[in-house]
Amino acid sequence: MNPQGTPQPPQGYPPVPQPAPARNGGANGALPMVDARDVHKYFHNNQVLRGVSMQVRKGEVVCVIGPSGSGKTTFLRCINHLEKINSGRIYIEGQLIGYREQSDGSLREDSEKNIAQLRSEIGMVFQRFNLFPHMTALQNVMEAPIQVRHEPRDQVEARALELLKKVGLEVKADAYPARLSGGQQQRVAIARALAMNPKLMLFDEATSALDPELVGEVLKVMRQLAEEGMTMVVVTHEMGFAREVADRVIFMDGGVIVEQGKPDQIFSAPQQPRTQDFLRKVL
Amino acid sequence: MNPILQFFQNVVTLRGTYDWNTVFTFLFYPDILQGIIITVLLAVLAQLIGTLIGLLLYFTRRSSNGVLRGIGELYVWFFRGTPLLVQILFLNAFLPYIGLARPLIQTHFFRNLGFQQDIPLDAFIAGLAALSLNEGAYMAEIVRAGIDSIDLGQLEAAKSLGMTYWLGMRRIVLPQALRVIIPPLGNEFNSMLKNTSLVSAISVAELLEAAQAHAFSQFRPLELLTVASIWYLVLTTIWTLIQRQLERRINVSNLDPALTSGGSWWKRMIGFGGRETGVPMPAGADHH
Ligand SMILES: Nc1ncnc2c1ncn2[C@@H]1O[C@H](COP(=O)(O)OP(=O)(O)OP(=O)(O)O)[C@@H](O)[C@H]1O
Ligand SMILES: [Mg+2]
Repeated sequence: MNPQGTPQPPQGYPPVPQPAPARNGGANGALPMVDARDVHKYFHNNQVLRGVSMQVRKGEVVCVIGPSGSGKTTFLRCINHLEKINSGRIYIEGQLIGYREQSDGSLREDSEKNIAQLRSEIGMVFQRFNLFPHMTALQNVMEAPIQVRHEPRDQVEARALELLKKVGLEVKADAYPARLSGGQQQRVAIARALAMNPKLMLFDEATSALDPELVGEVLKVMRQLAEEGMTMVVVTHEMGFAREVADRVIFMDGGVIVEQGKPDQIFSAPQQPRTQDFLRKVL
Repeated sequence: MNPILQFFQNVVTLRGTYDWNTVFTFLFYPDILQGIIITVLLAVLAQLIGTLIGLLLYFTRRSSNGVLRGIGELYVWFFRGTPLLVQILFLNAFLPYIGLARPLIQTHFFRNLGFQQDIPLDAFIAGLAALSLNEGAYMAEIVRAGIDSIDLGQLEAAKSLGMTYWLGMRRIVLPQALRVIIPPLGNEFNSMLKNTSLVSAISVAELLEAAQAHAFSQFRPLELLTVASIWYLVLTTIWTLIQRQLERRINVSNLDPALTSGGSWWKRMIGFGGRETGVPMPAGADHH
């Protein structure tokens, strides 16, 4: 098997020039929050990512759209190393995630501790919420700061209550997930991720497991986060949200980035036939 | 008398020789009561150790290290594939070879605890080890089923929050798996209470061995086996009642953990909690 496969170069968007990442902050600390370079990913013989390169600036909100099976979830999971990549590199603020560069330039998987450390600064929100069912909403939010960061309990509790208030659920602090609606669960999940003060938030179709009437409350929280300047990568089927909130929209298909640009440009004047085709179907 | 009728009369009256008095005499005889304590001690310890071994086996069998995985599989294959009695005899015969039997047999551990009839510590440990090792092989399957029943998304959520595999296991996965593991674990303990009788083969004075000793001295095997049976029934019945209560609470809290919130984690796990949330408990579930 050829691990490089036949990566298709991204079309229709000028390839980002790729200087070596500056290690120590770089000029004006302008390191991109996410810098993915030529990421390839296989599941057995199935090549799911065929050379994905993209950058996310600090404070930027990037929405990723594309047909089912195009590799959006897989790419998102590569960003916090829930999936190993077969080739390429992903830097988080200049720091290689998941791997360590050997002196000969090859990559070796990083220690679990280092990976966990990097992940603790990247929040992730799952399609199926994945709240801890044996803990109350408040305990869910408090768990990681206490267990991972060993912060003092009362301090964490105060912040957790604040976060629950922020997502509109302070009255549900003592409720177990089984007692919450899908929309409420997802908002707790967002608060849980925020409790670690992440510098980057990843959303994987955060609203697609929800009943239609519950989608709005979750999108509202996400929009508020975006307005506060959170750096976000949002995989979504909510085209309205992408159009309104995103700074940039990326269209993926067949494991590559087919087209990207400002929401207006992508939604009003897509250049690529595959993008046009996809948008015609979903809009 | 009709020989057929005669036969049934013999069965029922045991030719008039069955002596209920012997049964009543020995039912609360000190040796027998000591035997019960040893039986319960063996069962509880072996179940505890066996459960820990089962947990350990889960991680060896799920390990990325091929050698560890092989050892785990071999272990389960061996202990499930040979009779428990053989394992008990084997370990008992094994102790002298590693020079353990002698120092142990000279330790009057049980007499120091106030037992009148001393129990050779080497045989006790051999029996306990065999019961534990054997139980570990069966608990391995139960633990595996329990942990594997937890959605992979739970561990991924834990990892995405910066937890390591072990922290995620300890805080997130295992507490949830425990709910799944407890019912079959209860059945295992029921078997364990009875399987301890096999260590009578190496003269550990547990309930059966204690009864057997008097059976021989009194020439009353039926009566003393009755005594042993009565006590085994008492033990398993008590356990069944405890188990039923435990499972009922787990079922309740599985439906809605809020019903049994509060208290320490293990109270929440096995469902002994208050009703702090003020949610009414379903009928029948609120007797403490
Ligand atoms: N764990 C896995 N093992 C094997 N194949 C996988 C795995 N996860 C994803 N795939 C495959 O990778 C491809 C891309 O999947 P991915 O979930 O990334 O797509 P997606 O763009 O998120 O789709 P959707 O919009 O349906 O969520 C699919 O063909 C899928 O079958
Ligand atoms: Mg997906």
